[in-house]
Amino acid sequence: MDTLLQLLVNGLVAGSIYALVAMGFSLIYGTTRFFNLAHGSIAAVGGYGVFLFSRLLGWPLWSGVILGVLCAGLAGWALDKLIYLPLRRRKASGMILLVASLGVFTVIPSLFAIAFGTHFHNLIPSTLISVLRFGSVVFTQVQLIVLGSSVLVFAILVLGLRFTRLGRVIRAVSDDEDVAKIIGVNTNRVIATTFFIGSAIAGVAGMLTGFDTGIQPTMGFGLLLKGVIAAIVGGIGSIPGAILGGFLLGSVENLGIWQIGAEWKEAIAFALLILFLVFRPEGIVRRR
Amino acid sequence: MEYILHLAIIVSIFAILGVSLNLVVGFTGLLSLAHAAFYGVGAYASAILTRSYGWDFFPSVLVGIAVAMFAALLIGLVLSKFDGDYYALASLGFSAIVYSLFLNWRGLTRGSLGLPGIPRPEIFGMSFSEREFFLILALLCLILVYAVSRWIERSSFGRVLKAIREDERALRVFGYRTLLFKLAVFVMASGMAAIAGALFASYTRFIDPNVGLLMDSVLILAMVILGGMASLKGSIFGALFLIVLPELMRFVGFPDLVAAELRQITYGLILILLMLYRPQGLLGKYKL
Repeated sequence: MDTLLQLLVNGLVAGSIYALVAMGFSLIYGTTRFFNLAHGSIAAVGGYGVFLFSRLLGWPLWSGVILGVLCAGLAGWALDKLIYLPLRRRKASGMILLVASLGVFTVIPSLFAIAFGTHFHNLIPSTLISVLRFGSVVFTQVQLIVLGSSVLVFAILVLGLRFTRLGRVIRAVSDDEDVAKIIGVNTNRVIATTFFIGSAIAGVAGMLTGFDTGIQPTMGFGLLLKGVIAAIVGGIGSIPGAILGGFLLGSVENLGIWQIGAEWKEAIAFALLILFLVFRPEGIVRRR
Repeated sequence: MEYILHLAIIVSIFAILGVSLNLVVGFTGLLSLAHAAFYGVGAYASAILTRSYGWDFFPSVLVGIAVAMFAALLIGLVLSKFDGDYYALASLGFSAIVYSLFLNWRGLTRGSLGLPGIPRPEIFGMSFSEREFFLILALLCLILVYAVSRWIERSSFGRVLKAIREDERALRVFGYRTLLFKLAVFVMASGMAAIAGALFASYTRFIDPNVGLLMDSVLILAMVILGGMASLKGSIFGALFLIVLPELMRFVGFPDLVAAELRQITYGLILILLMLYRPQGLLGKYKL
């Protein structure tokens, strides 16, 4: 029982990072209708931003955190401006956009490797990490921060989409881009904003991964895969779905580690994806 | 001279992969990111049979093809239900599962230690350990694969594949069971990839799980798209160009680590630039 509880807690922590990636991915998919494979590499920008400003330049951690998230958002925005927007103007198919994003996904980790080396970096010295106990369940301080900041981001995004003007416009473009255009929405600007927000959220995920396990040039690959799986399992384009999908994936993965073995973690995650694609391709939350 | 022979062998192996992937991506319009996985299956099957069980190279290739085609049949049964970006994603999922099999089925593959000391092919007591002979063998395989692909292209089967690419639903209305066609071409292309894998294993005499890596799938895809969608000659040209170009960078004098990363960056940039300026590739007949 204790093991199970501990595993669920670990699943919740891992799942909240997946959910963050999935939310940004879903948000971008909602307005553009293509799988942005560069999303994971953008998440890594968040982690490397914190590393650059707080560890290499020695600025205070809070400023590194803000700048890291900002860098990720700007990177996503720039990708849209430089690559995706020109392609959309040419009425390129979703496949062309997907292949272009595959190109970005190949380029960014190599840039990190050249700039910062291929080995692991810690974002915070491991001596600073303390362990907390609640009965028989063990948390690290970092895990609490991960959980807390994810819930904060979830709340801001869900409320923001529902109650602000920008949120309403984003939802309008997601529902039907052409109709939104007709009623006078500058859809390209909305999509650019969506890229900024979605990528900044991915940056938060990359940063939290950095605090939890460290950063590495290819970290974006794993984050992308888990984020996409969570987004599809939850129901692509749906924000609550992305959150549910993230937690489901985190829990299934951790139960799988317990029952089958940690080395099969990736395979378990993909088995979950393929099960959903075959039996419930629309995901947990069906989009209207 | 040795070096040019080496490059020619590698180009031939990748040309086999490019030509066979073009059947799936270019003709049928299905973006498969699992091609390197079957290349890996062929490599492992042939390596295990020749190294541990003392088989001859040629029967081991046949078994490798059979194993890869059987794996492709199982995977394709699920995969063929999809099209567009979901196909790309599901194939990515399967390639990750195959990779973790290579990594974790230690009894068979020795995991990340890899399989060293794979023997070179022999026929009638004549050994192919000389590079000249190996190149002839690789070229013969390439010609065989090219001829079969060319035959597929001209057959009525090939015409159905192109029709699936243009409008799968319309074809279904005419009573074609498109799923079977998609499955068949996927299985055949995977068998061809297995030939390339077996050649690679016996040429380098060492393989580890990295032979089935996603990055190789991206590289093969870049070759196909650069050479041109649905152009078999284009794929050979694409393989030549993308193998030789990074070698030139080596002569410029970058350190090995940077050169490897620059190679990835080149592949990624080529994909992005092609999507922006020439989505059908250099010799291509059709856009993604």
